[in-house]
Amino acid sequence: MKSSRTLGLVMIAPAAVMIVLFFLMPVVLTAVFSMTNMTTATGISGGVYQIAPNSLITLKSAMPEIAAEMAEPRYTIDEAGLKAVEGLGLAPAIAAELRAKHAGEVFATRRDVERMIKDLTERPSTREVKQISEQFNRSVLNTRFDSKEQLFSSLDGLGFKLTPEQKETVAKTTYTGWTWTTDNFSRMASSPDMARVLFNTVLYVALVLMLFNVGYALLLAIWTHYMPPTRASIFRGIWLLPRITPVVIYVMLWKWLAWDSGFISILMGRFGYPPKNYLLDTAYNAWFFVVLINGFIGASMGMLVFSSAMKAIPKSQFYASEVDGASRWQQIRYIILPQMRWPILFVTCYQTLSLLASFNEILLATNGGPGNATEVWALSAYHTALRNYAGNLEYGLGAAMALVLVVIGVVLSLLYLRVFNYGTLVAKPLIED
Amino acid sequence: MVERAQPSANYRSWPVLTALTIVSLPLLLMYVYLFLDTVTVKPPDALLPSGLTLNHWRFLWQTTAGKANIWHVTLNTLLFSACTTSLVLIVSSMAGYVLSRLNVPARGFFLAGVMVLHAFPSVTLIIAIFIVLQMIGLYNSLIGVILVKAAIDLPLGIWLMKGFYDTVPWEIEMAGVVDGASRFRVWRSLVLPQVKPGIMALGLFSFLSGWGEFILPQVLAPGNQVQVLSVYLAGFLADDNNYDFNMFKAVGLFYLIPVLIAYALFNKYLMNIYGGGSKG
Repeated sequence: MKSSRTLGLVMIAPAAVMIVLFFLMPVVLTAVFSMTNMTTATGISGGVYQIAPNSLITLKSAMPEIAAEMAEPRYTIDEAGLKAVEGLGLAPAIAAELRAKHAGEVFATRRDVERMIKDLTERPSTREVKQISEQFNRSVLNTRFDSKEQLFSSLDGLGFKLTPEQKETVAKTTYTGWTWTTDNFSRMASSPDMARVLFNTVLYVALVLMLFNVGYALLLAIWTHYMPPTRASIFRGIWLLPRITPVVIYVMLWKWLAWDSGFISILMGRFGYPPKNYLLDTAYNAWFFVVLINGFIGASMGMLVFSSAMKAIPKSQFYASEVDGASRWQQIRYIILPQMRWPILFVTCYQTLSLLASFNEILLATNGGPGNATEVWALSAYHTALRNYAGNLEYGLGAAMALVLVVIGVVLSLLYLRVFNYGTLVAKPLIED
Repeated sequence: MVERAQPSANYRSWPVLTALTIVSLPLLLMYVYLFLDTVTVKPPDALLPSGLTLNHWRFLWQTTAGKANIWHVTLNTLLFSACTTSLVLIVSSMAGYVLSRLNVPARGFFLAGVMVLHAFPSVTLIIAIFIVLQMIGLYNSLIGVILVKAAIDLPLGIWLMKGFYDTVPWEIEMAGVVDGASRFRVWRSLVLPQVKPGIMALGLFSFLSGWGEFILPQVLAPGNQVQVLSVYLAGFLADDNNYDFNMFKAVGLFYLIPVLIAYALFNKYLMNIYGGGSKG
């Protein structure tokens, strides 16, 4: 029978389509974008060729003479200019003579073209000479060309004698769209800012993971383990609140606690301390609160995992140890902790990934400040690509930074699949057909 | 015999109780004051309220200048989380069944893929998604965010539903197949009712995570027309001109109430997921 296979394909199709379109494709595109220099300045679709002042500065280092020439206007006696001269209302003979004798000529400077105009049989006045010469001003500066060919034909028309290699250089420096590049990765590897962000990330993950997600969660689980069920569930309920609360409200509550008009300031005011913003006051304070804010959320998951693992320990072990006169500390040390090895490993693995990718709380609480003190990798990628106060959103660099996280995520999760025995998870289906 | 309430009774409990209360104090303080401050008046430097008022809830009947209407925003939030939830439920209850029971090509690969995606720093994809949505013109529309959010929740949903289907005894399906029902019919009317707890758990989780989602709507749909409550509240917080914490808190409580109700009613379902699933 084929029906089960067909049905299977039909039923899994929506999931496959959605995951491919909105999950896998963005991953692939992150990789693609990371190889470009895409920014708000270059736009996300193709660009144009424009000899702008800043591209001339770049060009100056490669070929100084040509850059200097391009910066100056050139004068070409072309049909459009001749038409404009005819429209000026001067003596018609001027335009006619220019067309007959000088059409197609190119003058490198204003003085050259004006000398030529003065020498015409009609002999225009100085004011008219200026007027006429202006009609032939064909500066390449700030004109937009939609394609390379248009740029080159315009350069040729203005009498720039360029070799094909030079043309390519000009095209490259004047292109306003994005191009393929591996600069993002070398920038990441060499920038001291990035090193700082990397250090922050390692510190952040290590602190939150050890102090809260594992350490404090274990403590909570053990504490509540020894309590009567109602009391235990009250405390577990309290510690689950941060997880179910929408992140914006949760961070708002911390701000209320720590800001200059907040609870701590008012409380300290009673003891004569002036109010201050404890959250953004110093780098140490900011770190203290960032770790607390994220730790209070992270503690709940470890607490639940550890609590249920402790419930699974046979009660008889506790009773037996009590008969033998074990202290509570000995119970924890010799009964609970040895049996917590797998849950602890699981929570550590799982939370490492979660912490690496999480930045909502830091974004809302300190936004990476004060200075760059609490900027972690994920937040920095977000800032670089989507919320850059310098104004220019660097999509390419941001994507490259995100890609680093993606690679770490994939490597770690493949490792976990290994550790937690993937084979048992994909046992064959019960009914084949 | 009455079961002993705790594994051990020969220890004094008050030191632990005190310690736990002290470390829980910041949380207690925050949530108690969250409620208290929305209905009371308090001089700027006082710790205790001096009178009752409903003035902080004025955002419900008057729109702050330059901000979207609260009811419009609430409706958007509801729409966003309801659509995400239905999408996740429908798609993952189908895919979970396939992965649990039916034989499709590349099944193992798909399962491994879902597992890897589940542990993925999904939020880092937001840069690529932002650029793509801008290219295809779904930027600043609810549909775009809903699709993205649902796709990000899917791996967890598929994995969870597969787990629930695995616990359903296969005699049920066998009976259906022997009686001549099609496999689809068997799934629809025999198996699906068996995994109700899973559907409840996933539905709730998905709704709550959609309700609280901040970064996706913030980046992909920041416009006033499609704003959701998290972005609305974050806008208040970023507004440096007035720190009216009491009003922020009223908006926050307004936003939190559905979460608390859902949690109070269904927390036993949610524990399944918070125990081993979500991130953070």
